[in-house]
Amino acid sequence: MLPPEAQYLRSQIVRHISLFFDDATAAAFENGLARFVRQNEISSLDEKIVAIPYDIPVPRVPESPYTVKFNGTHLTLWNRVATPDNDSWQSIPDEATPLWYRNRAGTLIPAWNLFGNLFHLLTFGEETESPRKDRHGRFIAAFSPRSDSDLLEVPAFNEAVAALVGAIVGLRQSDEPCFALDGMPKAPAVVLSHDCDILMGNDIWTQSVRAVRVALPLLRFRLPRVDNIWWIARNTLTPRRFYFDNATGMIDIERCFGFSSTFYMLNGDRGRFGARSTQAAVRDLVKRIPPGWDVGMHYNYNTFLDDRRFDAQKAQLDEIVGASVTVGRAHYLRFDPAKSLPFLSRHGITVDESSGYADRIGYRNGIAGCFRAFDPAARKTLDIWEVPITIMDAVLVDQYGDRCIDRFSRLLRHLSRVGGALSVVFHPGQFFNPEYRHMLGIYHRLLMASRDAEAVSITATQMAAKQKGSAG
Amino acid sequence: MEIRLIADGEEHLCNDFRNRIYGENHTLRQWHWEFAENTYDKKPIPYAVIEDGGNIVGTQAFIPIRMIDRDGVYWTAKSEATLLAPEYRGKHLFEKMYDLLFRYAEERRFACIWGFTAAVKALAPLGFIFPSKTEQIFTPFSTRAVVSMMGKDGHGAKENSTAKIKIGLARAAAGIAQTVSAVKMTHSRKNTLDGLKIQTMPRADEQAGDLCRRFIDHYGGTTVYRDAQYLQWRLFDNPYARSIVKGAYRDGELQGWAAYTIADDGMGYLVDLMAVGDDNHGIGDIVRTLLIEAVIGTRNMGASGIRGWRVNDHPFDKLVGKVAKTIGFYHIKRGFSFVLYNCPESKARPAHIDGQDWYISRIFTEGVLG
Repeated sequence: MLPPEAQYLRSQIVRHISLFFDDATAAAFENGLARFVRQNEISSLDEKIVAIPYDIPVPRVPESPYTVKFNGTHLTLWNRVATPDNDSWQSIPDEATPLWYRNRAGTLIPAWNLFGNLFHLLTFGEETESPRKDRHGRFIAAFSPRSDSDLLEVPAFNEAVAALVGAIVGLRQSDEPCFALDGMPKAPAVVLSHDCDILMGNDIWTQSVRAVRVALPLLRFRLPRVDNIWWIARNTLTPRRFYFDNATGMIDIERCFGFSSTFYMLNGDRGRFGARSTQAAVRDLVKRIPPGWDVGMHYNYNTFLDDRRFDAQKAQLDEIVGASVTVGRAHYLRFDPAKSLPFLSRHGITVDESSGYADRIGYRNGIAGCFRAFDPAARKTLDIWEVPITIMDAVLVDQYGDRCIDRFSRLLRHLSRVGGALSVVFHPGQFFNPEYRHMLGIYHRLLMASRDAEAVSITATQMAAKQKGSAG
Repeated sequence: MEIRLIADGEEHLCNDFRNRIYGENHTLRQWHWEFAENTYDKKPIPYAVIEDGGNIVGTQAFIPIRMIDRDGVYWTAKSEATLLAPEYRGKHLFEKMYDLLFRYAEERRFACIWGFTAAVKALAPLGFIFPSKTEQIFTPFSTRAVVSMMGKDGHGAKENSTAKIKIGLARAAAGIAQTVSAVKMTHSRKNTLDGLKIQTMPRADEQAGDLCRRFIDHYGGTTVYRDAQYLQWRLFDNPYARSIVKGAYRDGELQGWAAYTIADDGMGYLVDLMAVGDDNHGIGDIVRTLLIEAVIGTRNMGASGIRGWRVNDHPFDKLVGKVAKTIGFYHIKRGFSFVLYNCPESKARPAHIDGQDWYISRIFTEGVLG
């Protein structure tokens, strides 16, 4: 009997293969061609299978990353495991950068700590082991041990699954694991979403921030930033410009590309970190969101692990939408690795998109796609799906500047080789707003890059529904 | 060297050839949509190639399009993908590809072949005539619009000093033009039509073909027959840039539509505009309402401006131009020649095809800019 942890990871892998490859390969993985084993069982293996040890400890800091050429891209692996103490094991493709070890019977074992790395990432291991939090109580990218090794943009889960698929296909056809998955990964997906923090540019907080920006330089004996006066005046006269109007414009531009998205509505208590839009504005926007697009809840800042406030916000949004809202993302990405997902599940959220970084782009859980949450303390699977966000609008531009679209395209190209879905959050206020000139046209170019990569569009809810419906 | 119709399996070679010539990165899916999966479901497709040593070195395609006039609906074709590798030019290979496709068109009783090009000299000896030129109606939303209008991609391309000065001056002019347009637009929005219901079409409306017939009954002339099947292919399934189609309805009956999109250069395009009048409202009011929808729609998508075509003296074309002016559009006399070749079949048509009375919008481009 497998321990719950191994059962859990096997299930996630099977569902991921179904979603990004095909059901036949997923079934082959599940029905014996891949097996989770203890380390001490390895020496007795004598079958043509892929054996994945599930009891190798994971170091806190990734050790000795290396890359392996695979299917027209590179897989980045870390926490290499030593060759089993038996000279009958051969390193594939080579001794220096192995992906697999194979014995004479044809058994393959991963040359890196596949189970440990993936389980650690999906269960927020690196952050539960760290006490570090920023002023909003968040574990940010800078605190991740992967940050120093430049591993945050490695979709470790996807790469591992692609390698497993190659091994399974190889074992079904011959004794060799495949390193080319010709046509096997499905087209990469983009998961688009928009946090509707501000829908009217004339709210008191937004206007106050602009006013402060005018005056603040004076305190440092610098010229005032008078352009903010223009934005104050402009949004006083036309409050919807560059905010509410942008949201409807984003629906239209996505329609032009055959894409759709999720709009996360920030309602409830108003404030500097809270909702800045009136209920009427939220209601008006919800009315304009067409079928095929989703509406989700942007959990207000002060609802963080607060039952009463969370329920109040959700009840209000449920009433506006006319149905129970089951998908959401935390404002400011406030997220507790141990408590948030059980909390959200308890409150009727079944798909969450809060796991991501606000300071860097990157795969917080090492996955480009979605996974079902697991509670390591209770050792059980939760009834909630996480779709981690990888890219936040301004963060991408701040981090990569003029190269931001190239970087986005490279991430998509990589996923086209290993399978996966790239989640992107773009705020309506950043979409087309001359107040943020450096962001002009960026979303359009992201959509163009997605089209050119022949990416398909899927919302978080749609992806989770597909995974729920798949085997595993 | 062989000149023939495309063979199965050569699609990717033709797409690669086009990408190489234009320095673009169009996908095979886009190629299929344009040439192989349009509303003409016959095989072989009218796509001529020149093959030399296993390589495609030239292409010429016809995209079959149905047109409508008061005598009914009939097939024509748009000339497209006229490409020849530089080392093969000057050998009369274009003519040979056209000869092959003209025979194809005659056998299938196409009435005429048409297109838009700057290279009229090469087409004159083949029997093409040049009834008119495309011109632009244009309104800027930002000074970035002039960069697109001047043919720059606007995404950081390096310019020399003269070009920078030109762009700077043009931007200053665009700033003034933009302000004037915005004032006119603000004024016009107050006068938009009450009672007419404007809805985004999620897919092509089945009433489209009927509206097209009513349009021709009312205005006469010739235009693309925009039935639901055509609109679905051309606007809703376009893998380059789909269009937003806003329909104007009265009591559930389609009165007209405006189709618009945003292209890769950030410019908004008025792809199509059709309208028929009803008893209570003048057709000009419907056109104004739809144009305003297109302006606001493209502006909210972040477009730098919106441009459409103004081509000839067709009464509806004139009406659109007149209404557009009142809501802040400018008329710019710059564009390509409309070229037309009459196949023998056209001689049998009761309506003479001379191209002067065609209602032409950007939907005729059948191309990548919406």
